[in-house]
Amino acid sequence: MGTIQFSSVCKTYPGGILALENVDFTVGEGEFVALLGPSGCGKSTLLNLIAGFETLSDGRMSFNGNRVTKPGPDRGVVFQEASLLPWLNVWENVVFGPKVQKTPREIYEPRAREILRIMGLEKFHETLPVQLSGGMRQRVGIARALVMQPKALLMDEPFGALDAQTRLSMQELLLDIWQSLKTTVLFVTHDIDEAILLADRVCVMTARPGRITRDIRIDLPRPRSIDTLTSSEFTTYKAMIMAEMRGLHAHH
Amino acid sequence: MTSSRARRWLLAVVLPIVAVALWQAAGTDGSLAGGALPTPDRVWSAWITWAFGHAGPMTLSPYVGTWAGAVGHSAERVAKGFAVAILLGVPLGVLIGWSRLVSAMVDPTIQWLRPVPITAWLPISLAIFGIRDFGAIFLITIGAFYPIVINTTQGARDVEKNWIRAALMMGAQPLDILRRVVLPAALPSIFTGLRIGLGIGWTAVIVAEMVAVKSGLGYVLWDAYYVGRMDIVIADMVSIGLFGFLSDWAIVRLELWALDWRRLQSFNQ
Repeated sequence: MGTIQFSSVCKTYPGGILALENVDFTVGEGEFVALLGPSGCGKSTLLNLIAGFETLSDGRMSFNGNRVTKPGPDRGVVFQEASLLPWLNVWENVVFGPKVQKTPREIYEPRAREILRIMGLEKFHETLPVQLSGGMRQRVGIARALVMQPKALLMDEPFGALDAQTRLSMQELLLDIWQSLKTTVLFVTHDIDEAILLADRVCVMTARPGRITRDIRIDLPRPRSIDTLTSSEFTTYKAMIMAEMRGLHAHH
Repeated sequence: MTSSRARRWLLAVVLPIVAVALWQAAGTDGSLAGGALPTPDRVWSAWITWAFGHAGPMTLSPYVGTWAGAVGHSAERVAKGFAVAILLGVPLGVLIGWSRLVSAMVDPTIQWLRPVPITAWLPISLAIFGIRDFGAIFLITIGAFYPIVINTTQGARDVEKNWIRAALMMGAQPLDILRRVVLPAALPSIFTGLRIGLGIGWTAVIVAEMVAVKSGLGYVLWDAYYVGRMDIVIADMVSIGLFGFLSDWAIVRLELWALDWRRLQSFNQ
């Protein structure tokens, strides 16, 4: 179970800045949804709300039918720049969650080992985050979320700071993982290609105030890979979304 | 590597050597400034006697073979007062930096008491503890406490928001956050506080021993001045400088070891 529900959600920041206005939006069990929009459109705010990092100004929001009041291990968050704890090595970062949750060692150890292997990090258990490249760091960030077996993954532009090459390989890795886990994913991005490649649905957002203007189902066959990026269906979706975003821009 | 290290050492000792040489050259007949100041050779020989001399049953001078005892007394007081200051200052600083409530309740009082210099605490210290060790330790604790608590507060306040969010997301409880996130994140600032605090601790021990106890480098300093032994006064001052320097060096070594991750960070960026 990992459903996300927003109804008439508003978020106002001190100083009266309206970050989100009447957002209605649902993510179903096992669904991969991308929030796509320019910076400052409130897409990260939406993610922070469901993560429990920020509080609502108005409206309702629930996770699995329960009101969200605080962060928790049922919603694994992957941050923009990984945000690993720099004084802990890769292994310590990944087992931080199970440890503070008092999970027995014999349960979390094999699980953490397996996830680090899938992530291609088995040789880096003792490495400090600063000694890793941006892509490797984000692999640790994903491993740290997955080790808690969350019901949903909340990803805030996780590949935004990576170079194009690394980004492609990370997208492929994420597709593989999601294919086998089928966890609910809410994925924030400003990259149209990334949104179409990964998601079942792309929700296009507009800024000031932040609203969802289009909710587009992406019916590309799965399993997908980098080759999907060059298919004609992909290009059709891309043209459609670009027109949508350009249209929004013209209204301003 | 080694040659650059040797070069640094050489550069560091040029200034003191020149200063001592000028001082020696300026004096005549073992003194200068009309006999008020002894020259370095006199200071050196007085120091040797103070440190290594053997006091016989007929020796009246207290400055024969008593140096190590004086150093030991002062260093022990600094260590004790400093330890108490850490035990109070670090946890309190973490709490002030982390909790707005604690900050609002405690921080104003600290900021308001802080301008009171340690010398102003002397009468109260004497009234409460008398001429005893506790008085000195009390003053050292007060002196070292402020920089430790203030720097720890600063460090705990500046913890990156996403580190705390990540820990919360992983199910960490408030105590886990304090111990496993805020404290390590604040460690660089804490070490800054420790270095400043230890320096003030050495100031405080000398002040305290000059007035409130009858042993240690501060006591010897004042006592030697009264009996006109300026050679001992100067040897004493150099000793204070030396031990202040050595204890600071020890903290820097500890910092390098504890903050290994940070050294790598600045190296990689």
